[in-house]
Amino acid sequence: MNTDKILIAYDGSDNAQRSVAYVAAMVGHDGTRQVDVAAIERPADRDLFADDAAWKAECQRRNAAMRDALAQARAMLVAAGIPDGKVGTRFVESCRSPLREATECSIGTSIALEVLRLAEEGGYGTVVVGRRGVSKQEEFLFGSVSTKIIHAAKGLAVWVVA
Amino acid sequence: MAPSARELLTRLAPDFPARHVGELYDDTSEFMRIGYGDVMVLGERHFLVLRDEAERRFGMEDPKYWVKRCRCLETGGRNIVKLVFHENFPMTIGSMVVTCTRSPRKETRILDLVRGDPRFMQGETIYDVAGNPVRILDLVAGKRLDEKIEALEMPHRDYFHDLFPTVLERFIEACQAIKWLHDRNEKHGDVRRDHLYVLHDSGQYCWIDFDYTFDFQESPFGLDLFGLGNIIQFLVGMGQHTTQSVSPAMRAQITSDDCSIMFPNRIVNLQKLFPYIPLELTNVLRRFSLAAEVYYDTAGELIDDLCRARQALGRSGV
Repeated sequence: MNTDKILIAYDGSDNAQRSVAYVAAMVGHDGTRQVDVAAIERPADRDLFADDAAWKAECQRRNAAMRDALAQARAMLVAAGIPDGKVGTRFVESCRSPLREATECSIGTSIALEVLRLAEEGGYGTVVVGRRGVSKQEEFLFGSVSTKIIHAAKGLAVWVVA
Repeated sequence: MAPSARELLTRLAPDFPARHVGELYDDTSEFMRIGYGDVMVLGERHFLVLRDEAERRFGMEDPKYWVKRCRCLETGGRNIVKLVFHENFPMTIGSMVVTCTRSPRKETRILDLVRGDPRFMQGETIYDVAGNPVRILDLVAGKRLDEKIEALEMPHRDYFHDLFPTVLERFIEACQAIKWLHDRNEKHGDVRRDHLYVLHDSGQYCWIDFDYTFDFQESPFGLDLFGLGNIIQFLVGMGQHTTQSVSPAMRAQITSDDCSIMFPNRIVNLQKLFPYIPLELTNVLRRFSLAAEVYYDTAGELIDDLCRARQALGRSGV
């Protein structure tokens, strides 16, 4: 298992920011590890909008917010002492995005599985994820990224920051 | 110059009472104004409005002013015509509130997708002069499944042994229809027992009303699966059973773990009420209970377990 590469699953939420802060504290002064922060695009559901223009505008707003959040996460890690060249960000666009230009895209059915795919393809030994602490009812209905990552992960360590 | 509603009705529906003749509408945006006796012009066809549809639940009637029961003047056939109504509304599920959105274009897309498939209601979309996607639906030639079950007058044991195996068989097919949608990245959006009909001619089950949508990112089909769970509980129990509806002696044996994860008074471990329910079926029901640790993630998983339950019914000779 590669302990030198850490992948942080990031969605810009408070929980995700805590997971970044935790990684910064854990490995901030150890300049050997590669830390990447990855966000999977969650485009708004097209059917929620009366027309495509409104849908596209909302997708653009979300994308811009997520890219800003990724930049902030990166800055936090660098400020904690991780060398600039050892911190990366990845933004995986959704295949369903009306804005999509990238060749790689998320099919959008499970953020958790997309994160694990990135981890496997990138040879990461550790995945870090924030946990909201949802109720049983919420998890039943809405699903939980962290729970699914814990259940589906193989051959790597999962750090859950609650 | 376009003919008036009076001219059209005199020619195409001479039996319609002249005193009720209304207006002609080719723009349906103001659906509240369109009522009995008005005629909607949609493409090459004309639809005489007979009444607003209404939803009957919990003994109350809730009018749906954007859904009109109509007669097509060209064909003479009856149709349900759904006009465009954009709304977001909170749906309360147990202690949780979920935001649902009514999406005419989602229903349009699914109607196109399921054309010719008897597992789903049929219809087409015609755009009015204002560009509103108006859905022209065929009447489903059948009866609501829940009403058929509730109308049964027989002991549960007889129902379970004699009728339920066929009900389960049909319900598995209905679940496969939902899986078929999910496989195409579509949600039904409003899986409820009153949205499942039994077709008169074939006995097949048929889903209606696909215009709701919701945005659950990590569990995109979660609400559909929850709906399927509610229906199988109802079908197994030959109705819904709550802690209030059972005898005090029985209630004493029911724990919170036997009840729905979303509705604490709804009994889902029905084996406690009906001990002849096989374990394989009980296991399905308990996946929707407060005791569950693992939940269904896909319709396929639910179908696999229901098929095991079907085999178990066969083994027990029912």
